[in-house]
Amino acid sequence: MYAGGTDLLVRLRKNPVNPFPLVCLGQIKELKGVRESPEGAFIGACSSHASLLSNPIIRYAFPVLAKGLQVLGSPPIRNMGTIGGNICTASPAGDTLPPLYVLDAVLEIRSQNAVRRIAIKDFIVGPGQQRLNKGEILAGIWLKNDPDFNIHHFEKVGQRNALAISVASLSALLKVSESGIIERVRLAWGSVAPTIVSPTNVEAALKGHFLSKDTLQKVMPLLREAISPIDDIRATAAYRRTVAGNILLRLLASFPYKEGYGT
Amino acid sequence: MTVQKNILKVGKAIHRIDARSKVRGAEKYASDYYGQNLVWAGVKRAGIPHARIKNIIIEKTKNLTGVISVLTYRDIHGSNRQGVIRRDQPVLADDKVRHCGDAVALVLAEDQAVLKEALDLIAIDYEPLPGIFSIGKALEQGAPLIHEEHPGGNVLLKGDLKTGRGEAALEECDVVVEGYFTVPYQEHAYLETEGGWALLTEDGHLEITASTQTPFRDLAEVAEALGIERESIRIRAPYCGGAFGGKDGITVQSLLALAALHCQGRPVRMVWDREESFIAGVKRHPGSLHYRLGAKADGTLYALSAEVYYDTGPYDHLGGAILALGLEHAGGPYRIPHASIRGWSVYTNNPVAGAFRGFGVPQVAAAMEQTMDMLAAKLDLSPLEMRRRNAVHRGDKTPLGVTLISSTGLAECLDAVAEHALWKEKERWKASAGSSKKRGVGIACVMHGMGYGPIVPDYANAKIELTKKGAFRIFCGVVDMGQGNASTYLQIAGDILNQDMDHLELVLPDTEKTLPSGSASASRTTYTFGNALIGAAEALKKRILQRSAETCASDPNDGLTMVLRPGSVFHPPTGKEIPLSQIVRMLDESERISVFEFRAPVTQERPTEDENLRLHGIPHRIFSYGVHLAYVEVDELTGKVEAQRYLAISDCGRIINPQVFEQQIQGGIAQGIGYALCEDLVVARGKIQTPNLSTYVIPTAMDIPEMESIAIEKQEETGPFGLKGAGEIAIDGPLPAIANAVADACGVRIFHAPLAAGRVLTALEAKRGGKEVKA
Amino acid sequence: MKISFTLNGKKIRVDVPPDRRVLDLLREDLSLTGTKEGCGTGECGACTILVNGESRLSCLMLAAQLEGCHVTTIEGVSSAKKLHPVQEAFIEHGAVQCGFCTPGAVLAAIDLLQRNAEPTRQDIREALSGNLCRCTGYQKIVDAVQGGSAKLKKGQTS
Repeated sequence: MYAGGTDLLVRLRKNPVNPFPLVCLGQIKELKGVRESPEGAFIGACSSHASLLSNPIIRYAFPVLAKGLQVLGSPPIRNMGTIGGNICTASPAGDTLPPLYVLDAVLEIRSQNAVRRIAIKDFIVGPGQQRLNKGEILAGIWLKNDPDFNIHHFEKVGQRNALAISVASLSALLKVSESGIIERVRLAWGSVAPTIVSPTNVEAALKGHFLSKDTLQKVMPLLREAISPIDDIRATAAYRRTVAGNILLRLLASFPYKEGYGT
Repeated sequence: MTVQKNILKVGKAIHRIDARSKVRGAEKYASDYYGQNLVWAGVKRAGIPHARIKNIIIEKTKNLTGVISVLTYRDIHGSNRQGVIRRDQPVLADDKVRHCGDAVALVLAEDQAVLKEALDLIAIDYEPLPGIFSIGKALEQGAPLIHEEHPGGNVLLKGDLKTGRGEAALEECDVVVEGYFTVPYQEHAYLETEGGWALLTEDGHLEITASTQTPFRDLAEVAEALGIERESIRIRAPYCGGAFGGKDGITVQSLLALAALHCQGRPVRMVWDREESFIAGVKRHPGSLHYRLGAKADGTLYALSAEVYYDTGPYDHLGGAILALGLEHAGGPYRIPHASIRGWSVYTNNPVAGAFRGFGVPQVAAAMEQTMDMLAAKLDLSPLEMRRRNAVHRGDKTPLGVTLISSTGLAECLDAVAEHALWKEKERWKASAGSSKKRGVGIACVMHGMGYGPIVPDYANAKIELTKKGAFRIFCGVVDMGQGNASTYLQIAGDILNQDMDHLELVLPDTEKTLPSGSASASRTTYTFGNALIGAAEALKKRILQRSAETCASDPNDGLTMVLRPGSVFHPPTGKEIPLSQIVRMLDESERISVFEFRAPVTQERPTEDENLRLHGIPHRIFSYGVHLAYVEVDELTGKVEAQRYLAISDCGRIINPQVFEQQIQGGIAQGIGYALCEDLVVARGKIQTPNLSTYVIPTAMDIPEMESIAIEKQEETGPFGLKGAGEIAIDGPLPAIANAVADACGVRIFHAPLAAGRVLTALEAKRGGKEVKA
Repeated sequence: MKISFTLNGKKIRVDVPPDRRVLDLLREDLSLTGTKEGCGTGECGACTILVNGESRLSCLMLAAQLEGCHVTTIEGVSSAKKLHPVQEAFIEHGAVQCGFCTPGAVLAAIDLLQRNAEPTRQDIREALSGNLCRCTGYQKIVDAVQGGSAKLKKGQTS
């Protein structure tokens, strides 16, 4: 079962399957598009990345997701690949996953006779592993509006500026008061552990503090405990560990920083 | 005169003639042939780096439905050895395999799916041998030998050159700096992988069409390796989908020829997939370099010691010549009276290193130009001033002691940089870096020798035919691998013969039709063939005008009053115009064709008595020059380096086509930026860990900055219309210019390329922690 | 399996094995060799085609996915006599060197200009970031897409 086929065909090239029991979901209309609901939006699992990127609901209500989509693969990959495929592939480097984690995405899973919902963090259990049972498909993603957040941040560290596989990434949603205090915060890192890391203790440690370099530096030890990066061909574990912390500091630049905050 | 409007004049930015068919997708590359009754050929690769072959088990494969034939070294009746200088590479491995990509068996099948299955079924029984995976190991006493019969052991070529008092003069310097550098492999990553097709005709002719830079040389190699008469082989070389040196020498040719011999007259196709191209294709030599450079207190360079080690993999390919060119350029374009330059090109069981645009020079330029900046810093001179004080001028001697008797425009390049806004405004730009960013600016001076050197004859044979329809047919003897030389040839011929595109035709390299003219390489393609073409065109023009005058003009002795026009001959005094289609009837078949041979001049100086080094190309006579300038921004949080502006000022003589020239410069810079920043072929125990374009990262359109190219158009007296080579020089500059810019930005130098984010971040952190770093 | 789709303006019906890649269908079965294979894994963009006007990688598609679609390959962009303005601009701006990435880059550019008639240089770089080129350094390709944009605009007003 596949949607866009951008990962599947690469794998088939190495290990052809015979016979060929492939089902393509890509052309089922009901699985495509974004529907607005009073609380938020429902995204059809077979919506292509490009279609979401140009969708006004996604752009305005969920900019952190749009920012992740913006740097996913390349334009043709974004035309072909789907958000459902990105979720079910369950790669820790999947660019839509950290945004979906901070948005507390809930997945709608359908089988012939049943519908169930599951939070994305409970759905993905390991690299390439998710809780999709036989006979089930991922139908779509529920996202809740949360206009409270005033920082929508996404950064992907890759080996080049396009066509890159994330070496580390950070999604962040923050509500920072006018006086610079972090009132709410959601954080998720990609590519630094077998699954996306969204450590509640780091979030809790930031809450109530000034958004400052000092504050961010103080949570670094907690963060470094929460992640378990590996060495691979793209980066060393040590690099990922350092950068996962460093890119948190970029939040300083995404808020209209005023002299004296947190000092 | 309106009729003159479309004449292909030298100096004009004429649109390349191959562009039209290429934008339509109509151009047929070597890999675009499928044809009727096609056989698919594929290669079983060794998979292990060093082993004796005990048995190749092919029975199962042979019995598979759809398999036509399985061939091994036993089916080869020639020398089974190919190579450019040392023929040390088997077509199909016989006694042993020497790297993971060695070809062991060749399978012919009815279709692609069967071929894949068949290749998987072949089993090879090996007796593993200890592998050599580093230069250090290869040079150890008692190291296992990769070629037992090679008198130099694991050293393919060694060079030891000395001028003046050599490194001993370092003691007389006021300031000396020292650096150990490493440079990585680089993959050509042309979009078109190695491939082609072949056919054994009914009359026993072997016809090969391949993506190659060297059809004539290939022909000789194929004949010898397979034991076939040269006369029965024909090789055609269509436009390559990129080559950059990686198709300078045999890739698929011998295998395709062997396959065709076993296909009962059916056409056979072989195209390597991307992984196979990585595993079996050649790469730029990785190396380590130890430099010591000394100057007097006033900034005058005085002494150099350079030690250069290149890992050539298990086969020569061109690894000796590449080392030699590296040694010749090791001291850069400077006056250095005393130098010791030593180098080793070493056999290992790593991937095969071979020709790649730059040919051994980017490595030494990286070391030399960074050492220059280190020395400038110690002397408190600006990098530009340091270079201006030491730049070579015409008549000076190179660090090898060879007099520069040809055009030398480095000083003009440096002057142009000094006057350029990017140089003048650099401090302001650096000061305006955003938060968490550091900015730096770096320069590098480069020179690049042209042609084959003093021994190997660098010649070309141009041929032009006046067709019966009155057009000029140019027989292009040198491959156009994408650089546009075929188009430039038409421009040269058009200029001399006063013709437009409608009256010019092109025949691409074909050993049966075009004449031997050497390789498309060594920055010599347009220089050497262009000169030959001028000779051929001038002779044909003279003959046509003379004959026209004799036949139809008032004064038969004065061919000079006649002029060529597109498709015709014109006599201004009388206003008479005769179509060339009519003139052609006055010429004998043999007179319609003009052939001219040009042989590139060589220098008579002998900086070394080592005949082997001379054979490998030392020294050159004509050099191009360049100064590169890079603006970089470093992200302190990630270590990521971005090239943001780039300037290249080049002396490549006069420019025949400014657009084609700029293509070469911009393309070279982009490839050089990849080499400097992100391209890293990782090899572990002889095995490539990054065998695809997902893990071997080349720049995208988002990674290359806007580039500016300026040509100092200095006349080279021996060049066609004053031209010098331009194909390689642009790749020599980016790594050192960017490394110098990163050092400028970060205040710490990174001695190991590529300057990938991880290395830069480590260096930044160590600096913050107050430690000295070795990245 | 039998599939029907529109190829370069003509309806066609083909019988292909279920694991046939679109790239092989086009090149080998239909002789449309303007679509190139550079990597086979979606990294280089040489095999770009337009499906319902959008750029797609034909090496990552199975033929069955074309059912009912409108497919444009480089051969369908122009006739031998009259080039597409983007193709003309590629020639004029020197955006073509070895030419192997060119068909894919031209199609990606056409896709971009349909959505964004006046892209900035940065827009162009982003839109063509899935089309690797090893010869040009991209600058002249960016020039050409800007040139193509101007030509199309001129064509519309005249």
